[in-house]
Amino acid sequence: MNNILTAANLSKSFKALQVVKDVSLTIQNGEFACLVGKSGSGKTTLLSILSGLEKPTKGRVSINSTSITDSSENELALFRREKVGFVFQSFHLIPTLCAWENVALPLFPVKMDKEIRKKRAIELLNQMEIGHRAEHRPSSLSGGEKQRVAIARALVNRPEIIFADEPTGNLDSETSGAIMDILKHLNKKNGMSILMVTHDQDLAASTDRIIHMKDGKVVS
Amino acid sequence: MNLIYMGKELYHRKRRTLTAVFSLALGITILITINALSKAYSEAARMPLKEIESDIIVQRAGNVPENLDGAVFACSAVTIRKDEVNQIRQLQGIQGFVQALLLWVFDADRFTIVLGFDPKNPVGPGALRTQVTQGKFFEKGKNQALAESSYAETYDIKPGDTVTVGGQDFQISGIVDASRATKIAVANIYLDMEDAQRMAKESKQVQNVSPFESNDANILFIKANPEQIDSLARSIKKIIGEKASISTPASFLKHLGSLFSLSDKFSLATSLIALVITILIVLKTMAGNLAERANEIGVLKAVGWSNKDVVGQVIGESIIQCLAGGILGLIFSLIAASMLGLIQVSIPIPWEMSPTPHFLPGGGDPVFKTLQLPVSISWRLAVFSIILSTTIGAVTGGLLSRRISRIKPSEVLKNE
Ligand SMILES: Nc1ncnc2c1ncn2[C@@H]1O[C@H](COP(=O)(O)OP(=O)(O)OP(=O)(O)O)[C@@H](O)[C@H]1O
Ligand SMILES: [Mg+2]
Repeated sequence: MNNILTAANLSKSFKALQVVKDVSLTIQNGEFACLVGKSGSGKTTLLSILSGLEKPTKGRVSINSTSITDSSENELALFRREKVGFVFQSFHLIPTLCAWENVALPLFPVKMDKEIRKKRAIELLNQMEIGHRAEHRPSSLSGGEKQRVAIARALVNRPEIIFADEPTGNLDSETSGAIMDILKHLNKKNGMSILMVTHDQDLAASTDRIIHMKDGKVVS
Repeated sequence: MNLIYMGKELYHRKRRTLTAVFSLALGITILITINALSKAYSEAARMPLKEIESDIIVQRAGNVPENLDGAVFACSAVTIRKDEVNQIRQLQGIQGFVQALLLWVFDADRFTIVLGFDPKNPVGPGALRTQVTQGKFFEKGKNQALAESSYAETYDIKPGDTVTVGGQDFQISGIVDASRATKIAVANIYLDMEDAQRMAKESKQVQNVSPFESNDANILFIKANPEQIDSLARSIKKIIGEKASISTPASFLKHLGSLFSLSDKFSLATSLIALVITILIVLKTMAGNLAERANEIGVLKAVGWSNKDVVGQVIGESIIQCLAGGILGLIFSLIAASMLGLIQVSIPIPWEMSPTPHFLPGGGDPVFKTLQLPVSISWRLAVFSIILSTTIGAVTGGLLSRRISRIKPSEVLKNE
């Protein structure tokens, strides 16, 4: 199997503080990998670098053999729009937009037929089993429903890999299980590659691979 | 960029949006109204001259007549010599020109103000042609004259009658309505220039005060290119000399003495101040709005919006908001204009421009031209203010969005 993501010798410093230290890792195509480690160990920072949200101080990242190390800000934005989907712990939905519009958000800058855009968003919401909430704003949705909207948004641009930073961190255990099932389903049925950060040992154990981080280093 | 998204954001932040929209509307209203008022006053100041089909009226002040006997010159209008007339006529920017002669005629049984001019010339008192209520306008070379209605009533004069003025007989061709006549160079009898010139030339009183040749005049009515009126007035002053009395729309504007007629600088300064305050309010509300949205903009960037997309969104919102403000301001201005249009202004006509002897009943009373303030909002001003609002929207949006669009998504998306 080929690698969807390759990172070599990544380092990241904020002023004097080195947060990521010489990390090299690969994620295989179709793999569901899990990043664990103590708070402050640098998981979010590493995820930001791997997903093109942040530039490393040193090292190289490529996704599907597209190197993003030397990309400009604009190229990175385009890269995120076309190749990457994000799911965050605190959902980060736009409060003024309804569910389907939030899903379609990454497509707003894309020139395409409005109806097609809406259709694609609604389809994804149906897939997440919240099609009936398509016209509701985030404030009227439960945490689980918000995260389903966020996952639909991550999928709307048909990405090659999904980065999820503690996607169940704000949810109770039952809802966490449901969200996890959705991610697993995406991984198994659609072959979506996923890199997820979590603190939950059980959730981590149910993925293909666990990557441990400690003090900015990948230890296993 | 997405219109619905822009609209929803603006709607969601109603208070901010309304603050920006209304302050811009107010600024635009002040801008338009002040400019419309200032234009209305200069338009009004043009009216007394406009109704006598002139832009400039030229006279020369002189001495008071020694004896009030026969034809005399009012002290406000003495001889303007033929050579001076010709010199003025050749100035650049003159579009129409007529010379006239105003005389006070003291006959044994009556006093008559006489105005002589070429009846075929549409400039100046020739405009009276449309105000004839009985009979016809007088013709050249036929010893005809036009009588003003209240004078005609006093002396029981009808079209076809013969009147004797200054020892000459004239046949009355028609009556002109005094109330509808102009307020400048008002006379009792209007007649041909040559007849008036003869009367003046033969008058000892005239010759004593101000030597007069048969081709001279004492009032000039000039139509001119609007842009050149003031420079023409200066050139004419040079030709006539110290005693010149030259009336232009600008000189009437001075008599109006309104704040808005004082100077263009006043309206310009007020409009500018209003605009600057408006822009500051719009900037402040938008900056507050954007500061609250750092997180949201981080999300947009995380999901793949480029800086340009973010800038576009913010500018779009700002333009929509400012355009709404501009349109609202235009509506406010139209309402304001229709109310200001009810204001009546009275433009004082200087005694010199329509002299009557002080000893007569009503002589020397102040004369006013009263009219409703012609306030209107020109298409140009309307279009300009809409373009201006849009530009304010684009510029403030552009200024504010530049920085916010550079937000690093990873900074704001840190789990809070
Ligand atoms: N922009 C930044 N500037 C300075 N320091 C930063 C910045 N971002 C992260 N850090 C520091 O880097 C370290 C790692 O942060 P990071 O958010 O990656 O940890 P984490 O493993 O995701 O922790 P958690 O499990 O609590 O989310 C922390 O000590 C944090 O204070
Ligand atoms: Mg973290």
